[in-house]
Amino acid sequence: MAVITALPPLAMQAGANRVVQGVKIEHVCGDPALPPEADRALRRRIVEQALMALGTDVQQPTLVGAV
Amino acid sequence: MTVLRVAHYINQFFAGLGGEESANRPPERRDGPVGPGRALAGLFKDEGRLVSTLVCGDNFFAERTEAAREAVQAWLQDVSPDLVVAGPAFAAGRYGVACAEVCRIAAEAGRAAVTGLHRENPGLLIYRKAYAVPTADSAVGMAQALGAMVGLGRKLATGAALGPAEVEGYLPRGVRRPGLRERPGAERAVEMLAAKLHGRPFRTELPVDAYEVVPPASAVPDLRAARIGVVTTGAIVPAGNPDHLKRCSETRWARYEIREVETLTGERFECVHGGFYNAMASQNPNLVLPLDVLRDLQREGAIGGLVDFYCTTTGNDQRLVDCKRNGREIAAALRAAGVNGALLVAT
Repeated sequence: MAVITALPPLAMQAGANRVVQGVKIEHVCGDPALPPEADRALRRRIVEQALMALGTDVQQPTLVGAV
Repeated sequence: MTVLRVAHYINQFFAGLGGEESANRPPERRDGPVGPGRALAGLFKDEGRLVSTLVCGDNFFAERTEAAREAVQAWLQDVSPDLVVAGPAFAAGRYGVACAEVCRIAAEAGRAAVTGLHRENPGLLIYRKAYAVPTADSAVGMAQALGAMVGLGRKLATGAALGPAEVEGYLPRGVRRPGLRERPGAERAVEMLAAKLHGRPFRTELPVDAYEVVPPASAVPDLRAARIGVVTTGAIVPAGNPDHLKRCSETRWARYEIREVETLTGERFECVHGGFYNAMASQNPNLVLPLDVLRDLQREGAIGGLVDFYCTTTGNDQRLVDCKRNGREIAAALRAAGVNGALLVAT
């Protein structure tokens, strides 16, 4: 499992092993302030990062990928 | 007698500035007490004066932590308090984390600080060394919490000798000090073991942390063939909330069909989470449950497919015991549906 969250330190301290940086608490996957296409592209990058995390072996709580 | 200078940290809600719609407010200073600070000031009687209050939105503190930290540092420097009181935050997650951070910043500046947290508040994970009195899970426990915080705070600020957590009534800080017990460890251990075997109550001398280590699952070998399950604590539900998922303090989870659903529209789905400003997620639920791009990736062959339902609960003031049970049940449901990997969006 991979966790997408706006607050990775909290997820990691609670023991989540694959953690991916989201945008904000109210809109973790995307940004409604962006034009719809850009919002969707941002969401896609986040989801792709989470999928990459699923495909990566980790030994302990790890923030996978760049923001 | 010196009159203690007391500084108080609270969030936008307790300052009366609004709920989640105001949670992005930056830190602002007020002279004297605000909100629960008035009762706090009263409890100090003539031994302390609440000189300044710092108010900060919960989201601001959580997301712009560096800016918030700097504001707290500058505030403490200007106000120069003998005691910093943060909260109480009860079971509120972001607020509790902010209160724990305020205690950390105060400690770094060499100032006494006290807060009040429910024993499952994640703030205790952020800064375990905080002096926190245990509180109820909601503001119904305000009077009791303030009384306990004042008692402990007064001792901390005046440098009075402080006993161990269980004696003084604050939450354990993970600090062990050398000391003498009347009987050797072997005898105490055997007594504990005997009590355990007989089902009698006993008190451990080495409590285990509530959050356990979860062994990482191995990597999904081939995403292109993998069936992905989607889970969120963001309370995304079909419009009308048919199962009456609660806005907070939920104990259950729910699953909803997404077979042949291409995207989550605001007409068919909504967000009922009560712990953040949810209008944007209700308008476009893909912001929390990113189904639209997952379907794109499925069409392009980047993933094998999606489980035909998604799972959700309200991750807001949920008891740890319910979190664990919900997690177990959701995992079992996904496994029964042949899942290879899961995404959890945590709001």
